[in-house]
Amino acid sequence: MKFGQLFKETLRNEGFPPEWIESALSYSQLKKCINRLSTELSELGLDPDTLGKLLKHVEDYNAAADQSDDRARPFEYILDDSEDEDGTGEKKPRKTFQPKLVFHVDEVTGALHSAQLDEKTKRKLQMLAVETGMTELRVFEEPDNQETPSHPTVASANSPKNRPGYRKIEIPLTSDTEFFTKLTAELSGLEALQKREEQRMHGEIQSLGRQIAHLTDPDRRSNKKLLSVWRQIFQLYLEEGIFFGTTESDHSAHDAAKAQERFNDFCEKLRTSGLSERLKKKENIEAFNTFMNINQEILQGLRFGEINETAMKKILKKFDKRTALGVKATVPKQITYPSFSSHLAKAVCAEVSTEILSHVPQIEDYACPMCMEIKWRPVRLGCGHVFCIRCLIVMQNNKQDRCPLCREQTVANANSDNLDEELAQYLKKWFPDEVKEKQRYNELMAGVDQYGEVYKEKCCVM
Amino acid sequence: MAALPKRIIKETERLSKEPVPGISAVPHDDNLRYFDVTIDGPAQSPYEGTLLPPFGGVFKLELFLPDDYPMTPPKVRFLTKIYHPNIDRLGRICLDVLKSNWSPALQIRTILLSIQALLGAPNPDDPLANDVAQQWKEDQNQAIATAKEWTEKFAKA
Repeated sequence: MKFGQLFKETLRNEGFPPEWIESALSYSQLKKCINRLSTELSELGLDPDTLGKLLKHVEDYNAAADQSDDRARPFEYILDDSEDEDGTGEKKPRKTFQPKLVFHVDEVTGALHSAQLDEKTKRKLQMLAVETGMTELRVFEEPDNQETPSHPTVASANSPKNRPGYRKIEIPLTSDTEFFTKLTAELSGLEALQKREEQRMHGEIQSLGRQIAHLTDPDRRSNKKLLSVWRQIFQLYLEEGIFFGTTESDHSAHDAAKAQERFNDFCEKLRTSGLSERLKKKENIEAFNTFMNINQEILQGLRFGEINETAMKKILKKFDKRTALGVKATVPKQITYPSFSSHLAKAVCAEVSTEILSHVPQIEDYACPMCMEIKWRPVRLGCGHVFCIRCLIVMQNNKQDRCPLCREQTVANANSDNLDEELAQYLKKWFPDEVKEKQRYNELMAGVDQYGEVYKEKCCVM
Repeated sequence: MAALPKRIIKETERLSKEPVPGISAVPHDDNLRYFDVTIDGPAQSPYEGTLLPPFGGVFKLELFLPDDYPMTPPKVRFLTKIYHPNIDRLGRICLDVLKSNWSPALQIRTILLSIQALLGAPNPDDPLANDVAQQWKEDQNQAIATAKEWTEKFAKA
């Protein structure tokens, strides 16, 4: 299937909001633009073949000249973008391109400083050169020519950078300008759409965050059982790494297909764990559904971004094929696609984790780096690192007196003053079950320290 | 045997779920403290495998977690013969974090990464295999050639 058709169908079938579809790249219109441009170029005698040869010649020439300076370039294609950024670091609104072809022509003979052109093009170019540029008188006429649409006009100017003895001829390409104006306008449109979407989701996420905070507040008695359900749901969610990988081998943003696959995986795990069914109250179910919806929306945004990005790549490729102007290599630096995957999704995911998930602390974040169980009771060493009391007692008994994380000699002199009461209260509040279990274990091991291994066995019998 | 501490269970789980690229560590079914380990020789080192046969560049090791792990370091040994100034003919490894610089916050994965790094940066000034270290100092090119030869010969996948 042709991409234009595929693009249209995807836009229609994916269930994107109508506002999005309106903002999508108008692939077919851009294509028509290219058709006009290629007609325009062939009227000049610059069919893709000739242009390709010309540009190749220049490329070789430049390579040979070791990119000395642009004096040496007989011919170039300029996407006019001279004043890029003004040092303030702020991004200026996208500029209108004024693409031009530039030739350097010998002032005396009118011969083009390029050996690779075929005769027809050469004649045509010589004619153009003679027509417009060769006498001082004609030079002053050029401003009027600029306005004439559809038929390419030739303007000549003597820039100080010019090669001595050569004259610079510029050919503005009208359809080309049209193409890039349209493309940049549409990209700005997409960017604006993304901004709006981001803001909307921002609101949604914040309100869900408040709701979750309310539903999991450990000070409310009715939440007691649900706290651990929410924690487990979020734990599954985090472990799945739906939009971003967090492991050594998978550490980048996922594309839409992979994210969707991971999300389905997450749903499946939720189903088998039966966690969502344990949310019985209406407000909990609602919050859960909102959470799932937000994720669906991020996925949809990813898909929309990807299909538009592909459309842009395809249209630029087509542009090059039809005109041989070689923009694909140069354009991405100047027009960047406002990518959903690197922008919207990232921003939204970050928000999901700071605004929603963070309301329910995960045990991983409060595990002792030595035993990997909950840091109970928490002891903060002089260097600021926190471990569970049990591991530190073992270390002191072994005369291991350096902090396992920073090697500072802080273990030896740790005592009851190092107990972190604030953290202890927090752990007790958020992880009541884990704290209880670890407390029992610590007491048992303290008994073993005092009475030997026999204590453990006795305890088991009792 | 005493129950396996939670820490070892967690480390084992993570090793299989999120393996370190170029490293594998699988516990024995009948002794969960004993691991079969493989480490790929680092790229651009004499221990790197070749793209074409005989490939090579995969080193086998054994790793054992003593009873008081993580208060004491794991015991690690190369099973594959290797020509390296800090690894002797019995496969014993001279690496500070396996001895005096061990910390209970280090893990199986971090230790194996350190060993992989040691393959990329031999240190003949702190030798364990004296003959190899001497060769390394006297004629480094020859030593590297020998290391490559041994890699091809012994470190088969």
